[in-house]
Amino acid sequence: MKQERVGIIGIGQSAFTAQRDDASYPDLVREAVVLAMADAKLDLEQVEGIVYSLSPDAMVGIGNAERLGVDAVGARNKRFLRINTGGATGISSVISAYYHVASGACDVVLTAGADKVGECGDSQTVLNKIWDPTYERQLPLGTINMLAMSAVRYMEKYGMTEEDMAYVTVKNRRHASLNPNAHLRKLVSVEDVLSSRCISWPVKLMDCCPQSSGGAAMVLASERYIRENHLDAVWITGLAHCAETYWLGDRMASSVEADHADAFALGRAFDRAYRMAGIDDPKTQIDVAELYAPFSNTEFHSIEAARLCGLGEAPKLVRQGYFELGGKVPVNPSGGTLCTNAIAVTAMVRAAEVALQVWGRAGGHQAAGAKRGVASGNGGDHQIFGTMVIEA
Amino acid sequence: MAYKQQPGVIGCAIRPLISGQDRSLEEIMYDTVQLALADANLTIEDIDGIVVASNDQFDGRAISVMMASGPVGGVDRDILSTPSASEHAFVMGALRVASGQYRTQLIVSWSPTEVSSLSEVQRLGNDPYFHRRLPLDELSAHALQAAALEADVPGLHEIAEQIAAKNRHHGEYAAPKTRPQAGTERWPITSSMTSQPVTGAVALILATPEFIAERGIVDVAWLKGMGWATEAGFIGDRELTRASALEAASQQAYAEAKIDDPANAFDVVEITDATPYTELLAYEALGLCQRDQWGAQVGAGKFQRDGALPVNPSGGVLTHNPVFCTGLVRITEVANQVRGRAGDHQIDNVRCGLAHAASGFAMQYQSAVVFGREQGMSA
Amino acid sequence: MTTELLRRKENWSITYNHALGETASWFYVQIRDNAKIYGRRCAETGKVLVPPRAFSDTTLKPTTDWVEVGPGGTITGFTVVYEPFNGLPDPPYAFGYVQLDGADTSIGGYFKGVDLTDAKDAAKELRIGRRVMTRFADKRIGDVLDFHFEPV
Repeated sequence: MKQERVGIIGIGQSAFTAQRDDASYPDLVREAVVLAMADAKLDLEQVEGIVYSLSPDAMVGIGNAERLGVDAVGARNKRFLRINTGGATGISSVISAYYHVASGACDVVLTAGADKVGECGDSQTVLNKIWDPTYERQLPLGTINMLAMSAVRYMEKYGMTEEDMAYVTVKNRRHASLNPNAHLRKLVSVEDVLSSRCISWPVKLMDCCPQSSGGAAMVLASERYIRENHLDAVWITGLAHCAETYWLGDRMASSVEADHADAFALGRAFDRAYRMAGIDDPKTQIDVAELYAPFSNTEFHSIEAARLCGLGEAPKLVRQGYFELGGKVPVNPSGGTLCTNAIAVTAMVRAAEVALQVWGRAGGHQAAGAKRGVASGNGGDHQIFGTMVIEA
Repeated sequence: MAYKQQPGVIGCAIRPLISGQDRSLEEIMYDTVQLALADANLTIEDIDGIVVASNDQFDGRAISVMMASGPVGGVDRDILSTPSASEHAFVMGALRVASGQYRTQLIVSWSPTEVSSLSEVQRLGNDPYFHRRLPLDELSAHALQAAALEADVPGLHEIAEQIAAKNRHHGEYAAPKTRPQAGTERWPITSSMTSQPVTGAVALILATPEFIAERGIVDVAWLKGMGWATEAGFIGDRELTRASALEAASQQAYAEAKIDDPANAFDVVEITDATPYTELLAYEALGLCQRDQWGAQVGAGKFQRDGALPVNPSGGVLTHNPVFCTGLVRITEVANQVRGRAGDHQIDNVRCGLAHAASGFAMQYQSAVVFGREQGMSA
Repeated sequence: MTTELLRRKENWSITYNHALGETASWFYVQIRDNAKIYGRRCAETGKVLVPPRAFSDTTLKPTTDWVEVGPGGTITGFTVVYEPFNGLPDPPYAFGYVQLDGADTSIGGYFKGVDLTDAKDAAKELRIGRRVMTRFADKRIGDVLDFHFEPV
């Protein structure tokens, strides 16, 4: 018996920006939910389960803040739980919603969340607390410098330069300028990026994502429900999570399997998702990709982990325009996490954007003819990864 | 809705009370997982996926799944985290096995007591918009609910004291070496009605029927039905004298398990007795005993371990209070009862058991899980 | 009518008392009392893990014996931070990871004794593969900040 599929029937996202003083955190969630339900042409009444997307409580400043979102997602007396896998939370939430349907438990599931990162003052201070207090909390680790170290090893391993990194920012800003929901939409040049101030070498200001406020929501449904109600949908055909060792130092040594330069477990997660989706040649079978990459250098190892090219080849191909809108396989046609980062939902937006692409609904940033795409999310200290294949 | 595959619990471990500080939190997680694997006669290689649950602020780590992933076997494995409640980890694990895309799932939750004040941390769960300035921790929320119930049900205080006495008596039997410390008083909750928080961890393993048959595993607790729901976020929006979320959750579970007479369907029940009032409210919402019968049935000893419907033969939360994972502990306890692995507090002839898990301010999250000894969806 | 938009300041101030466990405790006592760094050997792979743990997260088997590592080592990762962050040290500072001699994994620490005025020059000094020496503080409390690394 052929497995019934799980489809995406509605998408909603805010026009992300820095501060949202006009709205409380639950208001931002509600904003996205209303858009997603309208897109699905359903009432909250039809929703049987909700998966709430929220990463560190400390970013919002409220413990178990999902409680405050209960009404925003219409969850009173309904199935409701919250997911947190750090930066991957958004895609992990879509994956969890998928299992509500694929298990046979629910026909219609909503997943939603929001972030007001701009409000908590200093995300790096909070993110320093993700490291364990036994050995690493005392070091000034933050996500920026942690991924700067990844850049240093990638440079050593493959010869990447700061200029290579700048090309990613230029590409993504151009894409973002075509996406009304993106946060940073101003075009920049390679020179602009190279002359921006150094945060943590080699990562400069313009190699970094912003802190964005806004919400995102998606509605998933069973194939049977979609068929019976004559709904329009795109399909989740592959998905997987994989984690690597928490210990950063275990990924930085003379001989390592999971090098901090690369994204080993992301690659494993993609391999599993591809196997599930029946894809054996991603280079030719994937039309578009939204890969979580909050820093320019991290887009390279994400592209390679998605098997869109070999290890170390991404910088050259980015320069050649291979991964640009108009190129062979547009990567982050929305502008990606580099241009918009509301942490709690940033990985959900990756899935949402791929869905829009294969649906032919990505407007000004549409990748022509895209029918099959992939999305990814990264969480923790570059440690937990979620991947998804979505097709028309 | 019918599950594609029926999950069965095949291994359990409830980490006993840990005295002294010789193990770090990660080592405690590691120990607990090793125990659960041993109980199921499996190795980590048999595990397709993991779901963990803990509270970042209890743990003192901003993304608790990060460092936890190693000890629980998450390296190069599919791991997910549900920090809303420990029982939600069970829900996600069960859904993943039910989808048929995973043959096994390991579920793990833990609750440390390393923070200077759990009460302070719980208070951070209040929104800064309207409620942060109030002394509203979980105990206060339970007290508000208890007070509302006392106003609604005459003589309730005495019945609550009897429930506490029952659970204490059960605990002395089930865990004779455990000496729970009396809880904090917060009117109308007396100090003998709750216990001080302790460090704890719990793990269990779910599998598909095919995996179970392949391995020849016989002590299985089959999942018959599962329901979970939430109350409104603001306490002020809730009717504290009812547990409407639990009514919804049990309806989901009973529909799946084809149970229409819950009062007579179960051989054993484990209820999250955050307070005795919580337990009584759960009796009603689960369809076990309406409030006009509380006094009579409790007084008659119906819910004692030798009564017609044993409730909390483990001694409940009153006996073992690893705050965050008390919900998953109830689920694990019932699974063990159905598997015949509940040791000293095993109830005889358990064919069907009910686990109630509740978490958060005055039972914000409510879940109901029905297990049965026979494979097949009806109880 | 425009509404006046208000804000509210909140501070999270929570203290924790984390049990380090026997393994980490022994490790720190050696640093505090003897200015020596040790790793733990994984029984199955033979790898010496630094910082030490009671079990390997790859094999899930307990680690066996203590192995002294360093004080010399090689840089395997680094960065130089120029941006100030709340609660973190004043920039500029360099830190990263060092594979101490005898270890199979790297441990984190600050790099000192390097001119950090220019990022590119600093990056040449602190390159991957550069040899460093562990320097211990005179007064030690049993903490990773009891030592740092200096290029040799």
